Amino acid sequence: MEKSTSISTLTSDQITRDLLPQKFGKRGMIWTGILIVVSLFGLFAYARQLRYGLIVTHMRDYVSWGIYISNFVFFVAISLVGSLITAIFRLTNVKWRTPITRIAEIIAVSNIVFAALIIVVDMGRPERFMNLVLHGRIQSPILWDVIVISTYFFISILLLYFPLLPDLKILLKFKKQTGKRLNKLYRFQGSFWKGTKEQMHISDRSISILCIVIIPVAFMIHTVTSWLFATTYRPGWDSTNFGAYFISGAFLAGAGAVAVAMYVFRKAYKLEKYITDMHFERMGRIVVMLALVYLYFNVNEFLTPAFKMKESERSLILQLFVGSYAPMFWFAILVGMIIPIIILVFKKGRRPLPMFIVGIMVVVGAWFKRYIIVTPTLLHPFLPMQNVPENFKYYFPSWEEWAIAGGSLAGALLVITFFARIYPIIPIQETIDEQNELNEKNEKDESK
Amino acid sequence: MKKMNQNKFILLFLFISFNLFNNTLTAQNDSVKPENVVRLHYFNINGKMQYLVLESLLKNGRVFTPHSKMTYEIYLDSAAQKNLVSSVTTDEEGKGKAFIPPALKSIWDASSQHTFIVKQGDEEVLSDYTITKAKITIDTSTVDGVKNITATVMDLKNSEWVPISDVEMRVGIKRLVGIVSAGDEPTYTTDSTGSVTVELKKDSMPGDQKGNLVLAVKIQDNDEIGNLLMEKTVPWGKVTEHNTTFFEQRTLWSTRFKTPYWLLFTVYSIAIGIWGTLIYLVFRIIKIGKLGKQFAMINGSDEPDDI
Repeated sequence: MEKSTSISTLTSDQITRDLLPQKFGKRGMIWTGILIVVSLFGLFAYARQLRYGLIVTHMRDYVSWGIYISNFVFFVAISLVGSLITAIFRLTNVKWRTPITRIAEIIAVSNIVFAALIIVVDMGRPERFMNLVLHGRIQSPILWDVIVISTYFFISILLLYFPLLPDLKILLKFKKQTGKRLNKLYRFQGSFWKGTKEQMHISDRSISILCIVIIPVAFMIHTVTSWLFATTYRPGWDSTNFGAYFISGAFLAGAGAVAVAMYVFRKAYKLEKYITDMHFERMGRIVVMLALVYLYFNVNEFLTPAFKMKESERSLILQLFVGSYAPMFWFAILVGMIIPIIILVFKKGRRPLPMFIVGIMVVVGAWFKRYIIVTPTLLHPFLPMQNVPENFKYYFPSWEEWAIAGGSLAGALLVITFFARIYPIIPIQETIDEQNELNEKNEKDESK
Repeated sequence: MKKMNQNKFILLFLFISFNLFNNTLTAQNDSVKPENVVRLHYFNINGKMQYLVLESLLKNGRVFTPHSKMTYEIYLDSAAQKNLVSSVTTDEEGKGKAFIPPALKSIWDASSQHTFIVKQGDEEVLSDYTITKAKITIDTSTVDGVKNITATVMDLKNSEWVPISDVEMRVGIKRLVGIVSAGDEPTYTTDSTGSVTVELKKDSMPGDQKGNLVLAVKIQDNDEIGNLLMEKTVPWGKVTEHNTTFFEQRTLWSTRFKTPYWLLFTVYSIAIGIWGTLIYLVFRIIKIGKLGKQFAMINGSDEPDDI
């Protein structure tokens, strides 16, 4: 209701002008500059890794999946939100989703791109990626992951592109404001869109098909990612719960990221009339539900092995609960789930600023949770670590690994930032259409 | 009552005295410095490879624990630099291995008996480990279908091989993790001729693809001659046929050319189903483009309409 009262007073022209992409202000320039510097530093570290090999990392025989794979799982998790907000909400006819669909989709695209890139980084020799295609075994979950990631990326691009077509038509009309170069880009991408009935019909149908297709693919992408671990016989990964555990965690992480992005875009582009308190309230309810579901799967994941304390699992569980990984483990549980739940069950907790803080907590907690899933297990193999150099027995990422991981995170944010600079972050045409529908409904109500 | 109190005091006194005494004993035990024990073991494998295993242990009371990361020098006959066999550093099990280098061949050949000296820095920690060169020969015979293994042990005395009696050894068939005794006894002892004959009781042992078995005779930690192992291949086993069909199966662990059909079907049907849909949607975009051009042609303008 809050949204309808604020938007219903706006004309189509006002909506268009409000939602047109804006040039970076001073803060935008600083933000972009920082991201570029961090990304370039990551590139420099990667150049060193290419020059000297994976020896610049602190990954050795036991911890062969370090911070890169944690980052990969994190990116895949965040990307899942595209299917939640865009597809599930669209298919279930959730009306308030309109201003956040594109935010969710660009988060999905940027994250899935960097998930793929970070895997190549982890390989050490990028040219060997072709070996996966040339000599890959379809029995390997790694190959399933490659197939599913590329599929999900392509679907997400299409899902971003189809709803963008009507907006491109609008953008073409504002050549002076957007500039010649961008106008050329818009023309290339969408000059053929005339908004005819037939075009609209094809577009709507295509979006519906994409929304149906993306859901199983999204489930597959994160289930297969979980199988990369669960099909490897190791303490902590030998679980049938892993698929559901990963998916529930991914939805939570992605929803948290959307909450953060909603707040930032609302503030940066003054979109209070479009991304209203109601959106945060609704999003808050979704986040708390997802956090509860994820907490439930966490209890499932740890309670049964901790209850049995099998010899092989024992040292890992003790390390996580009370050992050297305990601070990180409990941080991920408390900051990533329990505190957000406590904040969000209260109505005041679902206001924009608390939601923003909770979103950050969820995302940061999610990153550390992935680290906890990957590294401690690798340091607890079934066979004892014997006759190996001392530095094989522990793992802390090298500065190159931190720089590359940080660079990839900055890169993903940079993609979102540039996207918001080039395209409307809230769908213009869809917002106008909704407003028109609302006006018509109001008129009918008044005439009655 | 008074007597009871007296008894109580006596008991208390005894208790305290016992504890004090006991603590003193413990303290004395604690103050004993663990002793470093070094042992050497000489190995001769098939008469071709000779090496030494040094074992360093820490003796604390009756308990021996491996002494790792200790470095020792092993010398042959004399602790001179030219007689240095090797410098060894012990591993986590307190053991280090040293091969007798070809440079010491002339010293090695010069005598039938050698003494090894172990030094740690300037300190001589072992000087009385002496071994006599020895060898094992294996002869086989089949009489009335009964297969016999005859092992003879000889040592070198005055450039001549002389049989040794009363040497305990294992006579059997080499398997993956050890030696299975050929007869009923776990070990056998040589007679006055330095020989022992064992009837092969385990007649149906699986051999290799040609039916070969490896007979093995092993002498372990003999004070005079050290550790000796001699092997001999004989065609006494059952022919083992390798089951190559295992690798021809379509399984999850086989090569990419042997993918299970169900997996191929599942993956390809999902991939074709989804990518088929996506390709269809790409054609839909092309269709939208064509419709846009048609619209522009009919309306005579390529410019977008107003909102």
